[in-house]
Amino acid sequence: MSELFPRKQVMGFVFSLVLTALALAVYFFDMSFTVAMTLLLVTAFIQAGLQLVVFMHAGETEDKGAIYTNIYYGVFIALVTVLGTLLCMIWGYV
Amino acid sequence: MKLDHSLPPEYSTEENRLKILGFWIFIGAEIMLFGTLFASYFTLVDRTAGTPGAAELFGITPLIIETLLLLTSSFTIGLGVHAMRMGNKKAMMAFFAITLLLGAGFLGVEIYEFNHFVHQGVTLQTSAFSAILFMTLGTHGIHVTIGIFWGLFILMQLKKDGLNPATANKSFIFSLYWHFLDVVWIFIFSFVYLKGMM
Repeated sequence: MSELFPRKQVMGFVFSLVLTALALAVYFFDMSFTVAMTLLLVTAFIQAGLQLVVFMHAGETEDKGAIYTNIYYGVFIALVTVLGTLLCMIWGYV
Repeated sequence: MKLDHSLPPEYSTEENRLKILGFWIFIGAEIMLFGTLFASYFTLVDRTAGTPGAAELFGITPLIIETLLLLTSSFTIGLGVHAMRMGNKKAMMAFFAITLLLGAGFLGVEIYEFNHFVHQGVTLQTSAFSAILFMTLGTHGIHVTIGIFWGLFILMQLKKDGLNPATANKSFIFSLYWHFLDVVWIFIFSFVYLKGMM
Protein backbone atom coordinates (compact mmCIF):
# COMPACT_ATOMS: atom_id res chain seq x y z
CA MET A 1 0.00 0.00 0.00
CA SER A 2 2.71 2.46 1.01
CA GLU A 3 4.48 2.02 -2.34
CA LEU A 4 1.44 3.72 -3.90
CA PHE A 5 2.33 6.93 -2.03
CA PRO A 6 5.87 7.88 -3.07
CA ARG A 7 7.63 10.13 -0.59
CA LYS A 8 8.50 12.75 -3.21
CA GLN A 9 4.88 13.31 -4.24
CA VAL A 10 3.53 13.28 -0.69
CA MET A 11 6.14 15.88 0.29
CA GLY A 12 5.24 17.89 -2.82
CA PHE A 13 1.57 17.86 -1.80
CA VAL A 14 2.35 18.88 1.80
CA PHE A 15 4.59 21.68 0.52
CA SER A 16 1.86 22.92 -1.83
CA LEU A 17 -0.59 23.03 1.11
CA VAL A 18 1.95 25.04 3.11
CA LEU A 19 2.36 27.50 0.22
CA THR A 20 -1.43 27.85 -0.02
CA ALA A 21 -1.66 28.57 3.72
CA LEU A 22 1.12 31.16 3.40
CA ALA A 23 -0.74 32.88 0.56
CA LEU A 24 -3.94 32.92 2.65
CA ALA A 25 -2.08 35.04 5.22
CA VAL A 26 -2.67 38.10 3.02
CA TYR A 27 -6.41 37.69 3.73
CA PHE A 28 -6.23 36.89 7.44
CA PHE A 29 -3.53 39.37 8.47
CA ASP A 30 -3.19 43.06 7.87
CA MET A 31 -0.22 43.87 5.67
CA SER A 32 0.81 46.53 3.19
CA PHE A 33 0.01 46.09 -0.51
CA THR A 34 3.69 45.70 -1.40
CA VAL A 35 4.34 42.98 1.19
CA ALA A 36 1.12 41.14 0.28
CA MET A 37 1.81 41.21 -3.48
CA THR A 38 5.39 40.05 -2.94
CA LEU A 39 4.13 37.15 -0.82
CA LEU A 40 1.52 36.19 -3.44
CA LEU A 41 4.01 36.38 -6.32
CA VAL A 42 6.59 34.27 -4.48
CA THR A 43 4.14 31.57 -3.32
CA ALA A 44 2.36 31.37 -6.72
CA PHE A 45 5.54 30.97 -8.76
CA ILE A 46 7.11 28.44 -6.36
CA GLN A 47 3.83 26.52 -6.42
CA ALA A 48 3.79 26.52 -10.24
CA GLY A 49 7.43 25.33 -10.36
CA LEU A 50 6.63 22.59 -7.87
CA GLN A 51 3.77 21.25 -10.00
CA LEU A 52 5.96 21.35 -13.10
CA VAL A 53 8.93 19.49 -11.65
CA VAL A 54 7.40 17.12 -9.06
CA PHE A 55 4.06 16.23 -10.61
CA MET A 56 4.48 16.85 -14.33
CA HIS A 57 7.89 15.17 -14.61
CA ALA A 58 9.07 17.96 -16.92
CA GLY A 59 12.73 16.96 -16.80
CA GLU A 60 12.80 13.18 -17.07
CA THR A 61 13.42 12.45 -20.77
CA GLU A 62 15.78 13.56 -23.52
CA ASP A 63 13.16 16.16 -24.50
CA LYS A 64 13.89 18.03 -21.26
CA GLY A 65 15.64 20.90 -23.08
CA ALA A 66 12.82 21.38 -25.60
CA ILE A 67 10.14 21.17 -22.89
CA TYR A 68 11.77 23.74 -20.61
CA THR A 69 12.61 26.08 -23.51
CA ASN A 70 8.99 25.97 -24.61
CA ILE A 71 7.64 26.59 -21.09
CA TYR A 72 10.08 29.47 -20.49
CA TYR A 73 9.00 30.93 -23.85
CA GLY A 74 5.30 30.65 -22.93
CA VAL A 75 5.89 32.20 -19.50
CA PHE A 76 8.01 34.99 -21.04
CA ILE A 77 5.28 35.91 -23.55
CA ALA A 78 2.62 35.77 -20.81
CA LEU A 79 4.69 38.03 -18.52
CA VAL A 80 5.39 40.51 -21.34
CA THR A 81 1.66 40.56 -22.13
CA VAL A 82 0.65 41.15 -18.50
CA LEU A 83 3.40 43.63 -17.58
CA GLY A 84 3.16 45.48 -20.93
CA THR A 85 -0.60 45.84 -20.48
CA LEU A 86 -0.18 47.09 -16.90
CA LEU A 87 2.52 49.50 -18.07
CA CYS A 88 0.38 51.27 -20.64
CA MET A 89 -3.16 50.75 -19.24
CA ILE A 90 -2.69 51.12 -15.47
CA TRP A 91 0.69 52.57 -14.58
CA GLY A 92 0.28 55.29 -17.21
CA TYR A 93 3.42 55.09 -19.34
CA VAL A 94 1.72 55.56 -22.69
CA MET B 1 5.97 -0.73 -33.14
CA LYS B 2 9.39 -0.50 -31.50
CA LEU B 3 9.14 -0.82 -27.74
CA ASP B 4 11.84 0.61 -25.50
CA HIS B 5 11.48 -1.12 -22.14
CA SER B 6 13.98 1.13 -20.39
CA LEU B 7 11.35 3.89 -20.37
CA PRO B 8 7.92 4.06 -18.66
CA PRO B 9 5.14 2.73 -20.97
CA GLU B 10 3.86 6.20 -21.89
CA TYR B 11 7.22 7.02 -23.54
CA SER B 12 7.92 3.59 -24.98
CA THR B 13 7.50 4.44 -28.68
CA GLU B 14 8.81 7.33 -30.75
CA GLU B 15 5.24 8.39 -31.48
CA ASN B 16 4.36 8.42 -27.76
CA ARG B 17 7.41 10.52 -26.93
CA LEU B 18 6.51 13.05 -29.62
CA LYS B 19 2.87 13.21 -28.48
CA ILE B 20 4.05 14.16 -24.99
CA LEU B 21 6.40 16.82 -26.39
CA GLY B 22 3.54 18.11 -28.55
CA PHE B 23 1.30 18.39 -25.55
CA TRP B 24 3.92 20.44 -23.72
CA ILE B 25 3.91 22.84 -26.68
CA PHE B 26 0.11 23.09 -26.34
CA ILE B 27 0.57 23.90 -22.63
CA GLY B 28 2.99 26.67 -23.64
CA ALA B 29 0.21 28.15 -25.80
CA GLU B 30 -2.27 27.82 -22.94
CA ILE B 31 0.08 29.76 -20.64
CA MET B 32 -0.03 32.62 -23.16
CA LEU B 33 -3.84 32.38 -23.45
CA PHE B 34 -4.26 32.75 -19.69
CA GLY B 35 -1.62 35.53 -19.76
CA THR B 36 -3.89 37.61 -22.02
CA LEU B 37 -6.88 36.93 -19.75
CA PHE B 38 -4.94 38.04 -16.66
CA ALA B 39 -3.71 41.16 -18.50
CA SER B 40 -7.33 42.09 -19.35
CA TYR B 41 -8.49 41.28 -15.82
CA PHE B 42 -5.88 43.56 -14.21
CA THR B 43 -6.86 46.36 -16.62
CA LEU B 44 -10.60 46.13 -15.98
CA VAL B 45 -10.73 45.06 -12.33
CA ASP B 46 -11.78 48.51 -11.01
CA ARG B 47 -14.37 49.24 -13.76
CA THR B 48 -17.36 48.01 -11.78
CA ALA B 49 -19.81 50.76 -12.84
CA GLY B 50 -21.05 51.08 -9.25
CA THR B 51 -21.97 47.38 -8.92
CA PRO B 52 -20.35 45.01 -6.37
CA GLY B 53 -16.63 44.56 -7.02
CA ALA B 54 -14.11 41.86 -6.09
CA ALA B 55 -14.07 42.68 -2.36
CA GLU B 56 -17.86 42.36 -1.97
CA LEU B 57 -18.36 39.37 -4.28
CA PHE B 58 -15.74 36.85 -3.20
CA GLY B 59 -16.09 34.64 -0.14
CA ILE B 60 -13.15 33.01 1.61
CA THR B 61 -14.97 29.71 2.35
CA PRO B 62 -15.79 28.67 -1.23
CA LEU B 63 -12.31 29.81 -2.25
CA ILE B 64 -10.58 27.56 0.30
CA ILE B 65 -12.82 24.60 -0.59
CA GLU B 66 -12.15 25.02 -4.33
CA THR B 67 -8.41 25.35 -3.78
CA LEU B 68 -8.18 22.28 -1.53
CA LEU B 69 -10.27 20.18 -3.95
CA LEU B 70 -8.12 21.12 -6.94
CA LEU B 71 -4.78 20.79 -5.12
CA THR B 72 -5.77 17.35 -3.83
CA SER B 73 -6.96 16.27 -7.28
CA SER B 74 -3.60 17.28 -8.72
CA PHE B 75 -1.92 15.11 -6.06
CA THR B 76 -4.18 12.09 -6.67
CA ILE B 77 -3.63 12.12 -10.43
CA GLY B 78 0.11 12.25 -9.71
CA LEU B 79 -0.36 9.11 -7.62
CA GLY B 80 -2.38 7.65 -10.51
CA VAL B 81 0.54 8.10 -12.90
CA HIS B 82 2.88 6.60 -10.28
CA ALA B 83 0.58 3.54 -9.96
CA MET B 84 0.46 3.29 -13.75
CA ARG B 85 4.27 3.10 -13.87
CA MET B 86 4.16 0.26 -11.38
CA GLY B 87 1.70 -1.49 -13.71
CA ASN B 88 -1.01 -1.39 -11.05
CA LYS B 89 -4.05 -0.72 -13.24
CA LYS B 90 -6.58 -1.08 -10.45
CA ALA B 91 -4.94 1.53 -8.18
CA MET B 92 -4.36 3.79 -11.18
CA MET B 93 -8.02 3.74 -12.18
CA ALA B 94 -9.05 4.36 -8.57
CA PHE B 95 -6.76 7.42 -8.33
CA PHE B 96 -8.02 8.73 -11.68
CA ALA B 97 -11.63 8.27 -10.55
CA ILE B 98 -10.93 10.12 -7.28
CA THR B 99 -9.30 12.91 -9.31
CA LEU B 100 -12.40 13.29 -11.49
CA LEU B 101 -14.70 13.30 -8.46
CA LEU B 102 -12.62 16.04 -6.83
CA GLY B 103 -12.73 17.94 -10.13
CA ALA B 104 -16.53 17.59 -10.20
CA GLY B 105 -16.63 18.87 -6.60
CA PHE B 106 -14.58 21.89 -7.61
CA LEU B 107 -16.92 22.56 -10.50
CA GLY B 108 -19.93 22.28 -8.18
CA VAL B 109 -18.53 24.96 -5.85
CA GLU B 110 -17.65 27.18 -8.81
CA ILE B 111 -21.20 26.90 -10.18
CA TYR B 112 -22.53 27.75 -6.71
CA GLU B 113 -20.25 30.81 -6.72
CA PHE B 114 -21.39 31.95 -10.19
CA ASN B 115 -24.98 31.59 -9.03
CA HIS B 116 -24.13 33.68 -5.97
CA PHE B 117 -22.59 36.41 -8.18
CA VAL B 118 -25.70 36.51 -10.35
CA HIS B 119 -27.91 36.81 -7.25
CA GLN B 120 -25.82 39.81 -6.21
CA GLY B 121 -26.83 41.36 -9.54
CA VAL B 122 -23.48 40.73 -11.21
CA THR B 123 -23.78 38.99 -14.59
CA LEU B 124 -21.60 38.81 -17.70
CA GLN B 125 -23.11 42.07 -18.97
CA THR B 126 -23.08 44.15 -15.75
CA SER B 127 -19.72 45.89 -16.05
CA ALA B 128 -16.28 45.62 -17.63
CA PHE B 129 -15.14 43.98 -14.38
CA SER B 130 -17.92 41.39 -14.33
CA ALA B 131 -17.34 40.54 -18.01
CA ILE B 132 -13.63 39.83 -17.57
CA LEU B 133 -14.24 38.06 -14.23
CA PHE B 134 -16.70 35.58 -15.75
CA MET B 135 -14.45 35.26 -18.80
CA THR B 136 -11.32 34.42 -16.79
CA LEU B 137 -13.00 32.10 -14.27
CA GLY B 138 -15.18 30.62 -17.02
CA THR B 139 -12.24 29.81 -19.29
CA HIS B 140 -10.63 27.89 -16.44
CA GLY B 141 -13.96 26.27 -15.49
CA ILE B 142 -14.63 25.10 -19.05
CA HIS B 143 -11.14 23.55 -19.11
CA VAL B 144 -12.02 21.61 -15.94
CA THR B 145 -15.35 20.54 -17.47
CA ILE B 146 -13.68 19.30 -20.64
CA GLY B 147 -11.05 17.60 -18.47
CA ILE B 148 -13.68 15.64 -16.55
CA PHE B 149 -15.17 14.23 -19.77
CA TRP B 150 -11.72 13.58 -21.24
CA GLY B 151 -10.79 11.69 -18.06
CA LEU B 152 -13.99 9.67 -18.16
CA PHE B 153 -13.29 8.55 -21.72
CA ILE B 154 -9.74 7.59 -20.73
CA LEU B 155 -11.09 5.51 -17.83
CA MET B 156 -13.45 3.75 -20.25
CA GLN B 157 -10.55 2.97 -22.61
CA LEU B 158 -8.42 1.68 -19.72
CA LYS B 159 -11.25 -0.61 -18.71
CA LYS B 160 -11.79 -1.86 -22.26
CA ASP B 161 -8.21 -2.10 -23.59
CA GLY B 162 -6.20 -2.43 -20.39
CA LEU B 163 -2.86 -0.79 -19.71
CA ASN B 164 -0.76 -0.67 -22.90
CA PRO B 165 1.65 1.90 -24.39
CA ALA B 166 -1.25 3.70 -26.13
CA THR B 167 -3.57 4.03 -23.12
CA ALA B 168 -0.61 4.80 -20.82
CA ASN B 169 0.38 7.62 -23.16
CA LYS B 170 -3.14 9.06 -23.19
CA SER B 171 -3.36 8.84 -19.41
CA PHE B 172 -0.02 10.56 -18.93
CA ILE B 173 -0.98 13.41 -21.29
CA PHE B 174 -4.27 13.80 -19.45
CA SER B 175 -2.34 14.06 -16.17
CA LEU B 176 -0.23 16.88 -17.66
CA TYR B 177 -3.42 18.72 -18.60
CA TRP B 178 -4.89 18.26 -15.14
CA HIS B 179 -1.77 19.50 -13.34
CA PHE B 180 -1.75 22.49 -15.65
CA LEU B 181 -5.34 23.38 -14.62
CA ASP B 182 -4.15 23.35 -11.03
CA VAL B 183 -1.29 25.73 -11.92
CA VAL B 184 -3.74 28.13 -13.57
CA TRP B 185 -6.00 27.93 -10.52
CA ILE B 186 -3.08 28.89 -8.24
CA PHE B 187 -2.75 32.14 -10.22
CA ILE B 188 -6.51 32.78 -10.13
CA PHE B 189 -6.51 32.00 -6.39
CA SER B 190 -3.65 34.47 -5.76
CA PHE B 191 -4.23 37.31 -8.19
CA VAL B 192 -7.98 37.31 -8.73
CA TYR B 193 -9.37 36.18 -5.35
CA LEU B 194 -6.79 36.97 -2.66
CA LYS B 195 -5.65 40.22 -4.30
CA GLY B 196 -9.31 41.24 -4.62
CA MET B 197 -10.16 40.41 -1.01
CA MET B 198 -7.16 41.77 0.89
